[in-house]
Amino acid sequence: MPPFELNTDISNRRDLQSSDLTPYDALYLGNPYCRDYEANFLERVDELAEAIRQVKGAGRRAYVTTYAAPRNSFLDQIRRVLEVAEREGADAVEAHNLGVLRICRTECPGLPVFVGGFANVYTDVGARVLLDSGARRLTPNYELSLEEIGLLARNTGAEVELLVHGKMPLGISDYCFLLEYEKAWGIPCPSLCQQDLYLRQGDWAMKSVGKGVLSGRDVCMLEHLPALWAAGYRTFRLTALSERPAYRAEVGAVYRAALTGAAAGGGAFPEAWWEVIRRHSRIGLCNGFYFGQSGQAYVPARQEVGA
Amino acid sequence: MPMVTLSPPILLAPAGSPEAAAAALAAGADAIYVGLKGWSRGGGRGELTAEELRGVLAEAARHRRTVQVACNTIPKPAERAFLIERVAEVAAWGVAGVIVNDLGLLSAIRRRLPALPVTASIGCGALSWADAAFYEAAGATCVVFPAVLGPEEVAVVRRHTRLQIEVMIHMVEEFILLGRCLMPSYLRLQPRPLPDAPGDGQRLLGSVKRGGAGVCSRVCQQPWRLEKEGEVWGDGIFPSRQFSRVADLPAYLAAGVDVLKLQGRSLPAEAVYALTRRYREGLDAALRGDPVAAAPAPLPAHWTAVGR
Repeated sequence: MPPFELNTDISNRRDLQSSDLTPYDALYLGNPYCRDYEANFLERVDELAEAIRQVKGAGRRAYVTTYAAPRNSFLDQIRRVLEVAEREGADAVEAHNLGVLRICRTECPGLPVFVGGFANVYTDVGARVLLDSGARRLTPNYELSLEEIGLLARNTGAEVELLVHGKMPLGISDYCFLLEYEKAWGIPCPSLCQQDLYLRQGDWAMKSVGKGVLSGRDVCMLEHLPALWAAGYRTFRLTALSERPAYRAEVGAVYRAALTGAAAGGGAFPEAWWEVIRRHSRIGLCNGFYFGQSGQAYVPARQEVGA
Repeated sequence: MPMVTLSPPILLAPAGSPEAAAAALAAGADAIYVGLKGWSRGGGRGELTAEELRGVLAEAARHRRTVQVACNTIPKPAERAFLIERVAEVAAWGVAGVIVNDLGLLSAIRRRLPALPVTASIGCGALSWADAAFYEAAGATCVVFPAVLGPEEVAVVRRHTRLQIEVMIHMVEEFILLGRCLMPSYLRLQPRPLPDAPGDGQRLLGSVKRGGAGVCSRVCQQPWRLEKEGEVWGDGIFPSRQFSRVADLPAYLAAGVDVLKLQGRSLPAEAVYALTRRYREGLDAALRGDPVAAAPAPLPAHWTAVGR
C-alpha cells in the first residue's frame, strides 16, 4: 500500500468505463449535485453495485458519495444507495449533509462515513461533533486556509482530506437554472450540464454544472505537495466530476508521480508536468483558499504562508 | 375551514435597528430577532450595538414579547471564548435565545449555557427531517427551514422530530442555497480587524458563511455571460425566488410549525411594519379558521429583502 491516498470522483458507468484509473487509490462513485445527472450512480443502484465490484476488483477502494442538499423526498433513494454500498462492501460513504450522516450512523453503523466538503466543517469544535457522531474522515470547508485546517487537524486528530487539484465547489442550488435554456439551445437535460459552460464577467469566471457552481480556475497544489506532505497530510483529492476522462488520467498521473516524489523527500516538478496541467486547465490555476487569500488567487510555492 | 386547534406559532419578525424593532412590535410580532454588532451574517444590513440591544430588550419586555439574537458567524478558535462570553452576557440581559449557523458554535454554547435556547439558523442548510434529527441530537432547540419547504414537507419533518420547527415563510431564496455559497469569497476575500475582539480576531469580508460586517458582495446579483469555448450562449443573472407564504399559513399551522419567521433585517422600519402587519393579520385569520388572502402579486419591491 502506498503511504498516501490519491482519489477522484466519477458520476456514472460511462465515465468509469472510459477512465484510466491507474493513478488512483480510491474512487468516489456518484454525483452529489443532481438526481437527473446522466446515469448517476446514485439513481442506478444496479450499476452502482457493479461499479463497486469493479473498483474493488481492480484493487482500489470504492467510496460512495451522496446528495449534498437532499430534501425529504431524496432520503429513501439515499437509503437504497446505502444498502447497496453496505451489501457490496464499499469502503466508505461520503456524507455532505448532516442528516445523511445521521442516517448512515443509525441505519448502517458498520459503514464508515466520510464528511464531505459541503458539510461546512469550519472549526475544531464543529469537527469534534462530527467525529463524535461517527465520522471517520473530514474534508474541511474549502474556505479554510491551511493554517486553519492544520489547527483543526491538530486539535481533533481527524483524518483530513484535501482537495489538491480540480474545480473547487463554490455552491449548490435546489434547482437547475440551465433548464431555462433547454428550448433555446435545443439541448435537453441531462446533456445540458455537460456542455463545459462558464459564467463570465470581467475578470471572473465560474463553471456551471446546472445545480452547482464550480471555480473557473483549477485548484492546483502541485508545487505545494512537499509542504503538505511535511505537514502530515496523506489523503488527497483530485476533483474531476465535470471533466473528460483524459483529465482524470493525465492530471492524475502527474499528481501520482509528484506525491510519490514528495513521499521520498523529492520536490522536483518537471516542465512536462506543468504542460499537462496547463493543457487541461481552460481558465487558469488557483490555490483555493489555502493561503488565506481569495479563492481564485494563485500563490507560488516560494511565497507560501501558513502551510 | 375548520378551526385550528394546535398551539399558535410564534410570529418572529426582523429588526435591524431600534426603530425597526419598535415597528415590528407595534405591528404584532410575537418575537423579534436582531444581530449584535460584529457577530452576525450580513451585519452591514442591520446590527445593534450592545446599548441598542438593551433598549430593544426593555421595549420588548414592555410589550411582553421576546428578543432573539443572531450570532450567525463562525468565530475562529481564538475568538470563540470571547464570543461565547458575549452570548452569556446578553443572555443574562434577558435574551430569549440565540441563532447560530455553525455546528461547532452550537455545541460550544450548549455546553457553556445549557438552558439557553439555540436555533440552528437557515444558514445551517437543513432541508429534511434527517437534518432536523441531527440538530436535535446536537442540542439545538429549534431548526429553521427555508420557505421552499411547503407545508407537506414540514409535516413530514414534524413526524420525525420534537425540535421546534421554524419556517422562513417570507424570504428571497437566492440561487445558491444559504450556507452553501463560496462565490463571493472566491472572487474577493478581505480580512478586516474585528473591533474589541481578542488576538487575531477579524471578519472576513466576502465570506458569506463566516459572517461579519458587510460580508456578501452579492456576486449572484451581477450580470454574467454564459460561454462555451469562448462563444456566448446566454446572459443574465442567477435566478432568485421570492417566497411569500401568507396564503399557506393554515396549511403550515396544520403541519405543526412552531415559529413563522420573516426575512429582512435590512428593511427600514416602515417596511418591517407593513410586512409584519400582513403576516399578523394572516396568522390571526388562519387561527380563527378564516380564509387567508394571498399576498398581492407581484409583491411591492420594499417587501422583499433585496428589493428585486
